[in-house]
Amino acid sequence: MNFKLTEEQELIRKNIREFCVKNVEPIAAEIDEKEAHPADLFRKLAEGGWMGIPIPAQYGGSGADYMTHAIVVEELSRSCSSTGFTVSIHVGIACMLINLLGSEEQKKKFLVPLATGQHLGAFVLTEPGAGTDVMAATTTAAKDGDAYVLNGTKTFISNGPLADTYLVFCWTDKAAGRKGMSSFIIPKGTPGLKPGEHFHKMGLRSSQTSEVVFKDCRVPAANLLGAEGAGMANAGVAFDHGRVGIAAQGVGILQAALDESIRYAKQRVQMGSPIARHQAIAWMIADMATDLQAARFLTYYAAWLKDNKQPFTKEASMAKLFAAEKAMHHTTKAVQIHGGYGYIKGAKVERLMRDAKILEIYEGTSEAQRMVISGTVLR
Amino acid sequence: MPTLIACFKWVVDEAYIRRGPGGALDFSSVDYKIGEYDRNAIEEAVRLRDAGGGSVIGVTVGVPESAKGVKDGLSRGMDQAFFVSDPSFRDLEPSQTAAILAEVIRTRIPQYDLIACGEGSSDLYAQQVGPRLAELLGIPCVCFVQKLSLEGGTLRAERRVEDGVEVVEAPLPALVTVLPDINTPRIPGVKDTLMAGKKPVTAVTKEELTGRLEGALKTEAMTASRLERTGEKLAADAAGIARFVDSLRKSGWIT
Repeated sequence: MNFKLTEEQELIRKNIREFCVKNVEPIAAEIDEKEAHPADLFRKLAEGGWMGIPIPAQYGGSGADYMTHAIVVEELSRSCSSTGFTVSIHVGIACMLINLLGSEEQKKKFLVPLATGQHLGAFVLTEPGAGTDVMAATTTAAKDGDAYVLNGTKTFISNGPLADTYLVFCWTDKAAGRKGMSSFIIPKGTPGLKPGEHFHKMGLRSSQTSEVVFKDCRVPAANLLGAEGAGMANAGVAFDHGRVGIAAQGVGILQAALDESIRYAKQRVQMGSPIARHQAIAWMIADMATDLQAARFLTYYAAWLKDNKQPFTKEASMAKLFAAEKAMHHTTKAVQIHGGYGYIKGAKVERLMRDAKILEIYEGTSEAQRMVISGTVLR
Repeated sequence: MPTLIACFKWVVDEAYIRRGPGGALDFSSVDYKIGEYDRNAIEEAVRLRDAGGGSVIGVTVGVPESAKGVKDGLSRGMDQAFFVSDPSFRDLEPSQTAAILAEVIRTRIPQYDLIACGEGSSDLYAQQVGPRLAELLGIPCVCFVQKLSLEGGTLRAERRVEDGVEVVEAPLPALVTVLPDINTPRIPGVKDTLMAGKKPVTAVTKEELTGRLEGALKTEAMTASRLERTGEKLAADAAGIARFVDSLRKSGWIT
């Protein structure tokens, strides 16, 4: 057993950390407040090759492993969870799905601009009536000659208003059940595809979320991702990879909560001594550090399985479940440690707490993760 | 095509040093980095190469664990590196480091145009290695450089001196020590780091060197600096000044 990162992974962590301190940390509070997408920051991320880390160089990526991608999402999220998530879903789902399932032609046409960071990707599955229950989706793609015509409304789509490339999941044959869903690559500007209402969120505010509406949206059959009817299996691949990213996001939030708590507890004096010397506070910080370590190991283990070509569905769910719930729990504690100062807008722990909540909801709620995990261990 | 040499040192990242009880410094969880000003030296050499062609050779002296620093340096744009290492090199004195660098450059890099060093290392900050190296190699040395260009066989540098800026020229080959204002070092991208391991590194061991190279420095102790305040308030009148002088005398600062 080897718990050591490679020299390259360690150097890349140092570099993304330096990048974040210079470019992300200074704007994180402002883009949260203004719900603004930092386009300039994403240009810089693209220049450094941070937007396509695990994608082969021939398709515009950096050719590193998935572990490196997880480390980068973690460090980005430590400074700004919205930025970490936007990169996570772009790389972990949009880029990875086309890389794993796309044809050579699709990779050249769609993956290269995505992995170089010129384009941004979105994962389009959830519907107003279909969250955890994917089978309840109603969006359809009707075959018409050498094309499909899509109709329906998707919701809570991250990068929805910004994306250049949408990976869309809908029914090509509802009667066929789980084998009746297919996935499509649809570029923005396709007639009939329209980002709908933009949502104002409690946290993760600089990540842009909207509806995506399809009205007689005609998509060439060449844009089918994988085989017709493979949509549900493809969504599974997306979740496996995406969940490692969400887990890494949770690890980044936990690290930030710990950083802030230690810094504040050492300098805040009450009853004659820094509150870090009060056992009630010291133990909160001990628990935080322990759960951070556990969440990081679960996350890295899932990424390591992926890099070593082993199944990692269960481990990705475990990492995501644990990191999400611990991030929520400990950001609440971090606010508690900060007292009134932690409840004021502008305190980093206040943003961390709001940003943590979504981790328990998207890319499979904590309940959905428990379904996956129990389904595996009880089999 | 010019050959540019950048010298750098892999040092403790001071951000990770913790202050233990009683002022003792805790190095148990420190990370390492290329010294801040040395990054400027590497960056300047790489920029000169990108603008005018040629190649950048990095040279570093350190303990074997500094290998990660060599990779870090190569990821910052250097074309190749010489890594002079030995476990005993932890306690080298600046004159010894300069002597090692001089020998490696003299014997292994037959022709070069410019050597760039940081103004000082991030740990000792003795500001000795650059000037000593130039002296040993018998080439001009320009310190405190905040702007640099090469034209033909001459370098032109702006030096920041106490009363202003001095512009000097020197024939190449020459050595410069650079200030942080000279540039903003790049943050290596993912590919830069992945490619670094594929660039040529020439390892040089202590046995291959001729000088007497036992570490000459010994660290006896290291403690955090302490600032003590007495909180005494003094008025700006004759009586206050008299009290001020008196208190300095009592505490032994003046006699």
